[in-house]
Amino acid sequence: MLVVSDLRRDFDGLTAVHDLSFTVEPGEIVGMIGPNGAGKTTTFAMLAGFLTPTSGEILFQGKRINNLKPHQVCKLGLTRTFQIVQPFPDMTALENIMVGAYVRYPNTTDAKHKAMEVLERVNLLHKADTLGKNLTLIELKRLEIGKALATEPSLLLLDEVASGLKDAEVDNILVLVRQLNKEGITFLIVEHLMKVIMNLSQRVIVLDFGQMIGQGTPQEVSRNPAVLAAYLGKEEE
Amino acid sequence: MKTPLKNSSTLLALLLLMAFVLPLFAGEYLIHIGVLVLFYAYMAVAWNILGGYAGQHSLGHALFMGIGAYTSTYLFTRLGLTPWIGMWLGGALAGLTGWFVGYLCFRYGLKGPYFALVTIAMAEAAVYLVNNITAVGGAQGLEVAWTGSAPLLMQFDGKSGYYYVILVMSILAVWLSSWLIKRRFGYQLVSVRENEDAAEALGVDTLRVKIQASIISAIMTALGGTFFAQYFTYINPRNVFGEGPSIQILLFAIIGGLGTVWGPVVGALVLVPVAELSRGWLGGSFAGAHILLYGTVLVLVMLFMPNGIVGLYEKLRGKMKSYRSSNQGSEAS
Repeated sequence: MLVVSDLRRDFDGLTAVHDLSFTVEPGEIVGMIGPNGAGKTTTFAMLAGFLTPTSGEILFQGKRINNLKPHQVCKLGLTRTFQIVQPFPDMTALENIMVGAYVRYPNTTDAKHKAMEVLERVNLLHKADTLGKNLTLIELKRLEIGKALATEPSLLLLDEVASGLKDAEVDNILVLVRQLNKEGITFLIVEHLMKVIMNLSQRVIVLDFGQMIGQGTPQEVSRNPAVLAAYLGKEEE
Repeated sequence: MKTPLKNSSTLLALLLLMAFVLPLFAGEYLIHIGVLVLFYAYMAVAWNILGGYAGQHSLGHALFMGIGAYTSTYLFTRLGLTPWIGMWLGGALAGLTGWFVGYLCFRYGLKGPYFALVTIAMAEAAVYLVNNITAVGGAQGLEVAWTGSAPLLMQFDGKSGYYYVILVMSILAVWLSSWLIKRRFGYQLVSVRENEDAAEALGVDTLRVKIQASIISAIMTALGGTFFAQYFTYINPRNVFGEGPSIQILLFAIIGGLGTVWGPVVGALVLVPVAELSRGWLGGSFAGAHILLYGTVLVLVMLFMPNGIVGLYEKLRGKMKSYRSSNQGSEAS
């Protein structure tokens, strides 16, 4: 579904992502972890079309999407959520989601219909007429997922979708993601909360200094010496 | 995004009726004020599509007004072409210019104040350019020759003919504006204003919709420019391309309520009479007193209604709603 090979991105001499290669298979939930500055956000930005890779290749469902813009990538079925929620503050929750729904349903009646469905999915139906700026954080996080869902993605990139939430709220999100996955959406998730990664991912990719330092099941990764070193520091002293 | 007054369609019908019968009862001076209100309402509605819906604040919209005014007037005075046709040629030229300006700015990611600066520069450049083209009268401008009452040449005896022309233009503009905002295009424009990155991630071709908004707004503004030339029968580079009209157009939209369907109309409806009447009353006694008063009104509106008149109306209505529903236990914020 997604094949990333030798992906690289330089910022003025600093290499944020360095020769990164990995794949995501249809139906998977793949976690991506790594310390701050490991290149997760940069990788996400490249996959979703917000940054152009310096070199390397991104294939999504067999198509090269390196130089596509985000709206083009979205139309192909790949979209993202943002770590810092990005609602349209002066639009209602319904209107927020309709913007996404319009990608597949150009007609307003159909788009609204789709958006209502999605609102129900993310448990925001009762907030349909509330402005984006008046929603709480958990509601905004669900709205963020809802907006992306409305574009009917086959691969959804979730960027720290559970950060800043209380335990019960995190559980809510976990249930939702798992359900959506069952319905056929593939996920690539970046997350700091180990609970989320360990619970959801079938496979985990570990980045450090822009390179992949390990991958495997959550259990394998948590025993990998290189990964432990990256997270806990090397045992030299 | 909500269109206020939507439910009060009877009120709207009543206002329309009043607008249509006004010239039957009113004197020339009142009709003149009516023409000005409608003209600025029309221009503000046109500006609002790019500036309000899409949030791209053009401070040089006179560029398009000037193109419309000069194109139709040149063709009329030199070739005898009726402004009814000339206005569309001006519109086409302005649309092309709107595409160019939009492409130039948005392709290279100019936003906010930077976009505003480029639009000022473009309009100002047009002033100097036209100043130096003697074929269109240079700095002296062009005069529209009066040929007597000739509706086919957009010339009328008395003011009510002009009044009806601009009334119909305004109605069509508001209709177009309210139609656009309820469709995919409208939602996409607003999403660009609200959060461009999020809009892109949701499949909105932000570059394309901004350029389209620029083109539509430019064409509409140019059509208004033709009306301006026909009504005042005289144009020069400063009074159609200059900063004066540029600022006035957007002032009404901002005061009335940026990004709302009716805001620009309400803004013109409130401010134009204030400006005109205060000039009539105070203009003779203290030089500049009417400008002082006008300025004071602007400051007060901005101070107490940062979202414009319609914005305040919507806020109050929203408060009423949540006040009522808070009895049913929903949260107050």
